[in-house]
Amino acid sequence: MSAYLAFAQSGFLTQLAYRNEVWANLFGKLVQVFARVAIWTAIYGGAGVIGGVSLEEMVTYALLGGAVTGAARYETVVGGIGHALRTGDVAVWLLKPVHFPLYVIASEVGRALYRFTFLVVPTVIFVALFYGMLPPASFFHGAMFVAYWVLALAIFFLIAALFGLVAFWLLTSFSLEWLMQALLNLLAGQLIPFWFFPEPLGAIARQLPFAWIVYYPSAVWLGRLSPEECLAQFGIGLGWAAALAFGVWLLWRRASGRVVVQGG
Amino acid sequence: MRQLRIALRLVLMQIRSQMEYRGAFWIDRIAQIITYSSSLAVIWLLVDRFTELAGWRWPDLLLLYSFHVLGYATGAAISFTQMRDLEERVRLGTFDSLLTKPISPWLYIVFSGFNIGYAGHILLGIALMVWALWIAPVDWSLLTIAYFIASLLSAAMVTAAFLTMIGLTALIWVRSNHLYSIFFGFWELTRYPLDIFPVGIQGVMLTIVPLAFTSSVPVAVVLGKQVPLLGDWAPALALLAGPFFVLLAVLCWREAVNRYQGAGG
Repeated sequence: MSAYLAFAQSGFLTQLAYRNEVWANLFGKLVQVFARVAIWTAIYGGAGVIGGVSLEEMVTYALLGGAVTGAARYETVVGGIGHALRTGDVAVWLLKPVHFPLYVIASEVGRALYRFTFLVVPTVIFVALFYGMLPPASFFHGAMFVAYWVLALAIFFLIAALFGLVAFWLLTSFSLEWLMQALLNLLAGQLIPFWFFPEPLGAIARQLPFAWIVYYPSAVWLGRLSPEECLAQFGIGLGWAAALAFGVWLLWRRASGRVVVQGG
Repeated sequence: MRQLRIALRLVLMQIRSQMEYRGAFWIDRIAQIITYSSSLAVIWLLVDRFTELAGWRWPDLLLLYSFHVLGYATGAAISFTQMRDLEERVRLGTFDSLLTKPISPWLYIVFSGFNIGYAGHILLGIALMVWALWIAPVDWSLLTIAYFIASLLSAAMVTAAFLTMIGLTALIWVRSNHLYSIFFGFWELTRYPLDIFPVGIQGVMLTIVPLAFTSSVPVAVVLGKQVPLLGDWAPALALLAGPFFVLLAVLCWREAVNRYQGAGG
């Protein structure tokens, strides 16, 4: 376990070395968050409430939307596994007493925490100064948001690792990165919360693991889930995380068997 | 003339080498088509629920999206990956060897790296544009058709010029790639009408990051909509933006190559 903490820490620290990039990224993120808020302001026009949701709530939703996806990068996980496969580095990792997908995830978690602290939080505060942001619906909801955020990060990276491992069969990770983006676009609730989806699309999207990446954490913050629902959905999310972790473990076992076939 | 023949030769070589991995090539294209379609689906979901976005309805937004994809892909095919990798050439010193060759380094870099990977974008862009032109409320005349094609070319030119200008900063500062994340931040906004953004962002997108000219300005003109800040100047400026930024990029490229000192050390 301590090895993975060290990987995460080194991921965090290597980001410190590229401060110019951080400024450029900060600016890029800022533009995106402004855009999401602008879209909702335009949609609401003069209306204060649409479908039982106020503009303030939607602005808050837009700001929270980047809490995980603004910090975590699936590309480095999917691409990292693909790269190790293409260059043969993966053979070296088989010799080491660490679980390779877990290593890739751990170092990316470190980078995600860095981006969260130095990119996401400042951008959210900055945009909130202009447009305002609602506090969590209650202390309970705020605390649950933190738990959901951690769960979201776990689900996000486990899905990314699953996609990365498929590269062992497809032999290209490029298309897998793009496909993961497609699923995130539609099913995470990044831009449009599921309560604005046409049914039964919304009902289906609520059941899929992507929903725990953006939709559920933000919905919890806004208090759109009762305390009982908060806990129940959190349990289902944990179930998804466990299933995904099992999937990663299984695929990695199969994949490491295949590496031999590819070697040479 | 000779330069043109070499450029063509380089492109053909690039196509042939890419086609060695035909299966992987088309899998990647299909994945890109799916992802771009999912972004469009998000816009569809928005207008399905709210009918319009700042006065733009589904046919308008579809035309905007297809224009954005086509203009970008055409321009990026002759600039993006080549210029993104310029940083690496500078760092490794392989750019220096290009300077000693009897051919323009720009021509060599751009055409030897001609990115046929944008085939997926182009196919999707054309399909969506045919669909959009079918349903969009445009009064077609010879003039509007000519204007539409010219503004699409202008959009591709702005894209290529701007991506080139970002990349060539590597010749001076060695690093350039982080600037692309700013570019793509703004680039995503060009899927939406310019009207919805705060005046500050509108101003930036019409000047220092001129991406509004790659989609929402020309498409608003064709649809007969008002363009914020530009007003009556919009139709002319949308056409002039391409040549203007290409000229600017050429001047910047010359200046950067002249000042180029190597990565040093």
